[in-house]
Amino acid sequence: MSTKLDPVTLEVIRNALPAIANEMAADLQRTSYNMMIYEVRDFCTALVSVDGELISQNVGGVSHFVADLGVIITDAVKRYGRKGFRPGDVVITNHQAVAGQHLNNVVIYVPYFFKGELLAFAMVRAHWIDVGGTSTGFGAGPEVPDPWQEGLQLDQLKIHDGGRLDQTLHRVIRDNIRFPESSLGDMNSQIASCKLGIRRLDELVRKYGRDTLLRAIARIFDETETQCRKIIARLADGVYDAESFFDDDGVTPDERVRIHARVTVKSGSMTIDLSGCSPERKAAVNSRTLAGARVAYKAITAPLAPVNEGSFRALEVIIPEGNIMMARYPAPMAGWSIFVPTVVETIISSLAQAMPDRIPAAHHGLLGGSVVFFGVHPKSKRRFVVQSIEGGGWGGRPFEDGESATVSVCQGDVRNGSIEGIEMKCPVLVKARALRRDSAGAGKFRGGLGIDMQVRNFVDGKWNFERANRRGCPAWGLWGGGPGESGGYYLRAPGESEYRMMHGSHKPVSANSEVVVRTGGGGGWGEPLERDPERVRFDVLEELISQEAARDLYGVVLNEDLSVDQAASRDLRRKLGRAA
Amino acid sequence: MLVAIDIGGTFTDLMAFDEATGRFAQAKSLSTPTQLVKGIIDCLRMSGVDLAEIAELIHGSTTAINTLIERKGAKTGLIVTRGTRDVYSIGRGNRPESYNLFFHRHRPLVPRHLTREIDERMLASGEVLEPLGRASLEEACRHLAEEKVEAVAVCFLHSYVNPEHERAAGEIVRRALPGAYVSLSHEILREYREFERTSTTVVNAYIGPKVAGYMRSLKASLAEIGFRGELAIMQSNGGVMTPEVATERPVAMMESGPVGGIIASAQTGRALGFANVISFDMGGTTAKASLIREGEPAMAPGYYVGGYASGHPVMVPVIDLVEVGAGGGSIAWIDEIGALKVGPQSAGADPGPICYRGGGTEPTITDANLVLGRLDPDDFLGGQMALDAESAARGILEKIANPLRVSTAAAAQAIVNIAVAKMSLAVREVSVAKGYDPRDFALVASGGAGPLHVTAIARELHIPKVIVPLYPAHFSALGMLAADERHDFIRTFYADLDGADFRQLERTVEEMAAQSTLANRKGAARRIHLDLRYVGQEFTLSVPVTQKQIEAQDRRAIRGAFDRLYERRYAHHSPEEPVEIVNIRLAAIGKRASLALPRLSAKRRARAHRRMKVHLDDPARPVSCPVYRREELGAGARISGPALVREHGTTTVLFRGDACSVARTGELLISVRGAA
Repeated sequence: MSTKLDPVTLEVIRNALPAIANEMAADLQRTSYNMMIYEVRDFCTALVSVDGELISQNVGGVSHFVADLGVIITDAVKRYGRKGFRPGDVVITNHQAVAGQHLNNVVIYVPYFFKGELLAFAMVRAHWIDVGGTSTGFGAGPEVPDPWQEGLQLDQLKIHDGGRLDQTLHRVIRDNIRFPESSLGDMNSQIASCKLGIRRLDELVRKYGRDTLLRAIARIFDETETQCRKIIARLADGVYDAESFFDDDGVTPDERVRIHARVTVKSGSMTIDLSGCSPERKAAVNSRTLAGARVAYKAITAPLAPVNEGSFRALEVIIPEGNIMMARYPAPMAGWSIFVPTVVETIISSLAQAMPDRIPAAHHGLLGGSVVFFGVHPKSKRRFVVQSIEGGGWGGRPFEDGESATVSVCQGDVRNGSIEGIEMKCPVLVKARALRRDSAGAGKFRGGLGIDMQVRNFVDGKWNFERANRRGCPAWGLWGGGPGESGGYYLRAPGESEYRMMHGSHKPVSANSEVVVRTGGGGGWGEPLERDPERVRFDVLEELISQEAARDLYGVVLNEDLSVDQAASRDLRRKLGRAA
Repeated sequence: MLVAIDIGGTFTDLMAFDEATGRFAQAKSLSTPTQLVKGIIDCLRMSGVDLAEIAELIHGSTTAINTLIERKGAKTGLIVTRGTRDVYSIGRGNRPESYNLFFHRHRPLVPRHLTREIDERMLASGEVLEPLGRASLEEACRHLAEEKVEAVAVCFLHSYVNPEHERAAGEIVRRALPGAYVSLSHEILREYREFERTSTTVVNAYIGPKVAGYMRSLKASLAEIGFRGELAIMQSNGGVMTPEVATERPVAMMESGPVGGIIASAQTGRALGFANVISFDMGGTTAKASLIREGEPAMAPGYYVGGYASGHPVMVPVIDLVEVGAGGGSIAWIDEIGALKVGPQSAGADPGPICYRGGGTEPTITDANLVLGRLDPDDFLGGQMALDAESAARGILEKIANPLRVSTAAAAQAIVNIAVAKMSLAVREVSVAKGYDPRDFALVASGGAGPLHVTAIARELHIPKVIVPLYPAHFSALGMLAADERHDFIRTFYADLDGADFRQLERTVEEMAAQSTLANRKGAARRIHLDLRYVGQEFTLSVPVTQKQIEAQDRRAIRGAFDRLYERRYAHHSPEEPVEIVNIRLAAIGKRASLALPRLSAKRRARAHRRMKVHLDDPARPVSCPVYRREELGAGARISGPALVREHGTTTVLFRGDACSVARTGELLISVRGAA
């Protein structure tokens, strides 16, 4: 059918569709009034067909939003009917029965009509700084018991109907959120971004014609699918498993939460089955999302190419209803994303056998490493909040070491706060932001290092301490590599000599306390005894590993001047090799 | 006599302008990457310019950027505040390639064992929390001396507000390591954000010894052959500086290459009454677009050498541009699923496009233009180089047309169209990303391949006006002749706009000005910007303010200007929100009189010197096209498309309905069909 499509038109449309989504994203980022959007990039923009197929999505930003908007359109078309939309409509939703994430992630979409025919939707999902309830800031934690306590629920409502603003709905929203200027400002940015999207799409349709454009889109999906299939077809057919766990869910103590992935590869197709993951929890760590499977699949197929519906056609995802990743409403989802990076990592690790030269060891796996301290500034009397997200170590890779101090697999271009910027605005002293020696898993290619961020607060205030929930299952190694050290939150009050481990939100802390936000290291790849002794020596020189670690883990003995004692190292490696 | 020499990747370009006669002279020689100075001298000799007559020689060089990219800089040490040894390697912790498991962070230029922490601490207010610990500093110096470092960067927290510790440390370091090149962060970049400041300072120290050596050798060689004029070095900000300043701040000359063409575009636009133009420069490997508003090129506060995802931040002002991998040498190819792609791989100058007969086997954009008849095989570079049209056609047939099952002409047309679409996205990006509509701008085309494609790009974006300037293929060197002397300073000055001490602000501006003799020179201009933001935001906007507004403490006017700029850029603003000052920016500018271009004699009749069959819109049916020689066109001449205008280094393509007239000073002014 698509043979008549000329290659130029196809190529131009192939480039133009992601450019539309990217332009929508740039527009949103510029106009939003909320650091979660312009700094954390906690949003996505997309064009979606009436059948819920992803036409294009913006590049960059938070990866766990990958291709996750289609279900909202499928649901909307079911409820309103294809005839239920008209030009000028704007729909708002964050309802977890379908949207499946925390309520802060508010979706806005606008239908696109060509000559009276409904052709597509432009959509923007973005993290609002508040949706009432307990949602302020990064969003509520695992302890929120249900969506009503979490915040305001909006279920596929037309905030504009045929171009007319629904005043009542607008007031209900305004009266039930804490920072209405910010959030309603963001809503307007989202609407403007969607309208830009349909304007650009309209230009394309008018230039190339409806039929050509639709044929091109279908062809682009097919070709993207083919590309992915070709990559998966290189893997040996088989069934691959991996498993990991969390120490607990943050509410029920001492009860491990299982994460399990079974991946079946069969002549270019892949099935990712998450049935082995824990059932949904009372703690708000549930979600309804394919993100875990899709982020993993994207990373191993075409990580640098734009996303569209074809990117996942050769992937089947199995998650039974009632699973922690496919929770049924009203299971609480305030901390919906906490487990997602670990799910991604578990799926990726399962494929180590199938593609040994393409799978790294595990990374620190935590979304957080967030530094959150707030109070009132003694000088300006204004409320301040220190907000920074610190990275940890990534796993060693088949040909090189893992990177240190980098955000998780579910985050993209998320930047830490500069020390000088933090101290300029907030009454704190950052005493150190430092790599932690020996925090990385040993390996032929070692993991990256985690960090210690040490902060002293000059005034009384409140800290948010994240729960260290992967201490029993830190970033694992591959092919004989060792695990990375896990992170945690530590407090030393004035007058105390020792740091204590902490968790919990809004914890009052007195002036001149010191907190260490510690992020984990990455796992090692391959046998540490096979690491080039020169690299071990250099790591000691660089103080990334200790001399003891060089000796005990890597079997490398160094002389006084830090040169490698070749003979002693050979003997030691032989001995350690036998012991293993 | 003014002379500009621009060293590019392939060619070293010279333009000379004699103010007395209004005449230009030009020369081109192959660049000699290992002996840059020799290339300059060769080019000067070739031009036949009388060396004793040169009043000023303006020079743009790749030596700074290449030292960094090739990692051939000095062995460098870094001295920092205790607790911050890893700030430089940790960076911002981000991962812009969000699905890539094999991402790379920037690779530090200083290893951890040559990074030493010392005892000292300032607060954000500038108060000393812990005095400079001399013992720890001397110990650090001893270590770096033992390691025989050639350069040292010093970067302490909050030195942008109080540089006392850095200054004192600098003296000690210079005494302890007398041969080393020393860079202090507050002297390179007086702005908050420790990672970006450290990276910029480290880059400066790393390339410093090499650039210093280059400056010495260049001056000596020029003196030897009888040059007695002033030497000026091109900077990334579009201005020039003395070789002495360049030796201290080599980081300011990293991007001096592409800026020449942008300055020239601004000047051309101004002279023709178009204050708002987009500069479009398409050369052999890439195309670059840049926005010029009210005669001023858009500036960026810095950029990432090696790209945003894994590059080194260098936060010195640089002319803002968007670059895409589409140049004359960009290769067309069919990917594994059968889709036609153009670039980013380029055949470069060696082996070059197939038609260059240099052994190139992959079809390029230039080959496609030749096959379409838009280039003349017997009239390329004034006939110096005969192109091989047959091999170009065969290459396109075998590599592109056959797999796609289309005709050779259709394949060539497809290659050009894809390149045009790609470049259009870049032009759109420089404009819409800043909140400007490209339709309100004229497009100025330069580079050997710019005029070939510019009308198609303008039509794609509905830009009604295109300008093809004089010497489009030597535009960068031409622009350097027009570059002002310019120094940029930045100072973090953090205060609420309402509560700020404007006396202090005024004093700070004077302090900044005192750093440069230029700022207080007679006739020099000062441009002041305040970086402002709403309280609580991270990103700032640079708002132009006047000395008068500062003296009069006119907060309302400044606030109003900020709100208006915010509205323009972000489509909304918040008049109720408090605003804070973050940085002061001062540019001291020694204006150069604009080049007085000679006028062409009027000659309304344009005569084609031949006709050729050219494929313009329809690959199945070539049209008969008149071909004009640019040097034969007089002022006021009018040409309507379809037509080609040929000149030494390029060809301008006019499609049916495009109307071209020749300006009094010789520029081609094109009204684009269907764009208005």
